[in-house]
Amino acid sequence: MRDRFSRSTITVAIAAAAVIAGLSVPITRTSGQTPAASVKAAAPTSAAALQTSWGEPDLQGIWTDESDTPLQRSPKYANQEFFTEAQRTELDKERAALLGRDRRVERGTELDVAGAYNAQFMSVKHTGARTSLIVDPPNGRIPPLTPEAQKMAAADRQFRLALLQSTETCKNKSIACAGGKYDPTPSPRFAELPPRYNTARMNRRDNPEDGALPDRCLTGGLPEFGGATGSFRRIVQTPGGISMFYDVGQGQGWQRNIVMNGSPHLPAGIRQWYGDSRGHWEGNTLVIDVTNFSPKTDYQGSRENLHLLERWTRTGPNSLEYVVTIEDPTVWTRPWTVKQEFTRQSGDQNRIYYEPRCIEGNYASPGLMRGQRMAEAAFAHGQGPDPATSDNATDFVGVEDDPLQ
Amino acid sequence: MHGRFSRSMITVAFAAAALSAVLSVAITRTSGQTPAAPAARPARVGGKPNLSGIWQANNEANWDLQAHAALPAAVTQPGVYPYDYARVPAAPVLALGAAGAVPGSLGVVQGDGQIPYAAEALLTKKENAEHWIDRDPELKCYLPGIPRAMYMPYPFQITQSTDKIHMAYEFSNTARTIHLDKVAGPPDDTWMGHSVGHWDGDTLVVEVTNFNDRSWFDRAGDFHSDALHLVERFTLKSPDIIQYEVTIEDPKVFTRPWRIAMPLYRRVEPNMQLLEFRCNEFVEEFMYGGLRKKQLVKHWEGDTIAVDITRKVPAGDKFYEWYGGK
Repeated sequence: MRDRFSRSTITVAIAAAAVIAGLSVPITRTSGQTPAASVKAAAPTSAAALQTSWGEPDLQGIWTDESDTPLQRSPKYANQEFFTEAQRTELDKERAALLGRDRRVERGTELDVAGAYNAQFMSVKHTGARTSLIVDPPNGRIPPLTPEAQKMAAADRQFRLALLQSTETCKNKSIACAGGKYDPTPSPRFAELPPRYNTARMNRRDNPEDGALPDRCLTGGLPEFGGATGSFRRIVQTPGGISMFYDVGQGQGWQRNIVMNGSPHLPAGIRQWYGDSRGHWEGNTLVIDVTNFSPKTDYQGSRENLHLLERWTRTGPNSLEYVVTIEDPTVWTRPWTVKQEFTRQSGDQNRIYYEPRCIEGNYASPGLMRGQRMAEAAFAHGQGPDPATSDNATDFVGVEDDPLQ
Repeated sequence: MHGRFSRSMITVAFAAAALSAVLSVAITRTSGQTPAAPAARPARVGGKPNLSGIWQANNEANWDLQAHAALPAAVTQPGVYPYDYARVPAAPVLALGAAGAVPGSLGVVQGDGQIPYAAEALLTKKENAEHWIDRDPELKCYLPGIPRAMYMPYPFQITQSTDKIHMAYEFSNTARTIHLDKVAGPPDDTWMGHSVGHWDGDTLVVEVTNFNDRSWFDRAGDFHSDALHLVERFTLKSPDIIQYEVTIEDPKVFTRPWRIAMPLYRRVEPNMQLLEFRCNEFVEEFMYGGLRKKQLVKHWEGDTIAVDITRKVPAGDKFYEWYGGK
């Protein structure tokens, strides 16, 4: 059985596929860049056409990353910042083959039912120019976690594994059980709270809060790199003001209105899902400092102490460079930096979905809880399996086979 | 005894002071950057009045577009008298006291003040009003729709460019882009509509179409169908006031077009910014609380919350204790 997140991904993926089909020659355009590892903003194109009528740099339009680049560099390309053209052609060929396959596990098993959605439902774009979105550290990898963050991540993982220990997932030594082992006796930890506020899927539905944030229609946030289904951002400017709307996930869009008046961040007691974005211009680059994240958010283990420094630079009529430095001294041993190239999308076609109406169609979140309550009631009457031996959390969409990862 | 409120205010103030101490440290860290001087807001953008900024209606339209006297509560029940005007607050909102009451209003519907419902639609509206808690999409944090998003008691931000005008609403994190240039229609019907605008002199005129039939106009059960068609007019009356008018047409529900009008006021506080109101998190208990393994409310019966209000007044909070009694 699967969650609504993956299920409704279908709609979005189909939409995304349609969009991708309509994309123009994205690859060749970005590949023209000079391979420079520089984290600094690209030299701006000096065309006055890239300014608004009131003389500010013009970042307006709908923007997306038209290619797929993994966040972290695969060990396979350890000393290589850019793919060769031959590698990209080969990777595109391999990855195109993933689209049509129908990945199954052993017929009749729970996991096979969970795998009912194949790679067709993911957006697979052309392979990007770089081997990782991360440009700093130079190895293209997220820096090591601090000892405290490692401890927290391990505690969280142990808790999740405990809830899987008596399921087929562990019995079959699935990758989802990596680090754990099968034990036919359900873990007493089913009665515990997770080590910290839950943001990811777990094999339990005692409460809405046991759901992953996407399952609760609470995804969307920063940093936003696109993920499996891609993302679009609409930027509208006015003198001294910038508004962005992000079309992400399935109806989980969100907006940011950049405060540009030079005032300090919100008081530390005000925490937000999307943080607090305060921007200013440095030459042609929009620099946005983002803090005040909610402890309910989680980006790679970073929560309320996440600090982002974004740099947005229009580099050409149809290109925008996005560079973000990600910092949280409580989680990573050093800051790290991601660089993404966005391509301008047709404003006439306006292929962006403004409605964050995920909650309106979220039948599966209550459905999963209702299902669990019914399974518990049945089991109490001697019918059906112990619900603790079923895996309702693991799904396989097929990204794990992507040769880019 | 002195009021307990003042006492806790002190604690809060101390906490705030402590926090701002922490904050100032945080700011120095980023203060290496030199923020450009804040740009003044020009009166016009691309030759048109500049509507950019944060705005909010200041009226009771979200309760009921039509004129109405104040009510004791949003949900009432018969009191000791059998008269409609003598109803008393009912359980779901009883514990809120006067905070659960409905403020009166002279209404925003123009002309005779009536909403011209077709006979059958009027019945639906009345039924909607009786089932407000179950039916109003606002309570479930669904998207508010237009025009309701314009006069809910939450601010919204206008970012006006030359060919697009973006409106970002605090409630439910929603937004719309008004297209002044050429644009294809939306792929689907929408809560917030598809907004195409043009300037009529100094008035922004926006035609809104492609609605679904799910949003409401207010908490009084006023509704529309997917045939809803709006023409909005935004006119800057002074730097801080927009006159907002909407002509509402929906032949499946109303017998003729009708109009609402109201001022929108600029939020002039110098530190004003939109904050989040991500209410889908707030309504999880309301919508799904009955499905918890261990319920937080002890009286869910299936999908029904049996609200049983037990309010024990703690020592020190009895009303006579507030006024120097012991």
